[in-house]
Amino acid sequence: MAILIIDDSSDSRLLIKSILVRRGFSDIMTAASAQEVYLLLEEEESKSKLSSIDLILMDVIMPDIDGIEACRYLKSNKYFQDIPIIMVTASTDIETLDRAFVAGAIDYIIKPVNQHELIARVNSALRIKRETDRRKAREAELVQVLEQLEAANRELKRLSSLDGLTGIANRRHFDEIYEIEWRRAVRKGYDLSIVFLDIDFFKLYNDTYGHQVGDECLKRVAGAVAAVLKRPGDSVARYGGEEFVVVLPDTGLEGAQQVAEQIRGAVEALGIPHRASKIAKHVTISVGLCCITPTVEDNPQELVKQADMALYEAKSSGRNCVKARLLASASNITPK
Amino acid sequence: MKQIVIIDHELKELIPGFLANRQADIEIATNAVANKDYDTIRVTGHTLKGIGGGYGFDRITDFGAILELSGKLQDEVLAKHILAKLKQYLETIEIRYE
Repeated sequence: MAILIIDDSSDSRLLIKSILVRRGFSDIMTAASAQEVYLLLEEEESKSKLSSIDLILMDVIMPDIDGIEACRYLKSNKYFQDIPIIMVTASTDIETLDRAFVAGAIDYIIKPVNQHELIARVNSALRIKRETDRRKAREAELVQVLEQLEAANRELKRLSSLDGLTGIANRRHFDEIYEIEWRRAVRKGYDLSIVFLDIDFFKLYNDTYGHQVGDECLKRVAGAVAAVLKRPGDSVARYGGEEFVVVLPDTGLEGAQQVAEQIRGAVEALGIPHRASKIAKHVTISVGLCCITPTVEDNPQELVKQADMALYEAKSSGRNCVKARLLASASNITPK
Repeated sequence: MKQIVIIDHELKELIPGFLANRQADIEIATNAVANKDYDTIRVTGHTLKGIGGGYGFDRITDFGAILELSGKLQDEVLAKHILAKLKQYLETIEIRYE
């Protein structure tokens, strides 16, 4: 362990160093004044050497900058704040010792130095330093583990919000998004639209091509829907089975209809063969949507219900089409 | 009459330098007395007080404490007296290393 002796008396420096070396402390640095140490702090090369010091033995009475002032300064410097300082002094008055402790010294040794007392106090201070270093290392490790844990939690949260097959939001996450967007729409007085889409004759598709191909179809349809959505606030989620839902914040009926039609067309354009479909040779979807400008008096589930009913209408109307509803505030339903 | 002082043999190499510095301290303090520079007298006494016993020279610590006091009290007579004692001491010691 490295020890720095700061004392204007060369005899003191030599004596203390001699005692320490005899007791096995081989890494001893000396300085004749606090200024000498301050100058070393300004040199990059010396900084790392100084920051490796484990203990400082400092004389109190020194010309220009006394030991107490030097102690205060060093304790305010980031390289020295955790390094224990023992004052070595011939002054025995309580006031001096008190000032030394206030300045940040942890102990003092009265001159003339008794070698046994010196070694005992040095060992004690170094023990404290080792414990401090261990504690800091543990804290750093804890901080790192905490960061890793937080990152893992964020990833877990992200994964738990996703549908495992398609990679888009799952039903649970849709519920969270929908609640947030509903409240925002109420707060801001915005329009909010919900679009439901369902793959036509999907059960027949699975029966014809198998579930593995069915899964691939679901992934491609999800991908096509996600590709159509341009705004960061728009989101798509897998509502269940072969049903998907799109949330369009700040989107009126006309805008929602445009998006819905784009989605329908994008899925049709995939041209996924579907020989069991009763309306086309490829995979198609039916789309139902509803729009509202919600207020605090409105029930968010009503919008979902109406969009679902619009989807049912699309199914009943021959499939592969879009049906829309406008929900006036306070449940005034207008089919369109 | 020689005064025998037992010194730790591990400090043997440092003793010549130590004693030479004490002679220098006497000279500094003597000049300070002549100039009535009591602050220098006090500081020199303080240094002697702090260093003597560490090397095994307890009398130097004692002399140093009195010299420091003479500086605080601005007592020229005391300062001269103790410096004479210190000078005599250094001239009459016989060091034995153990």
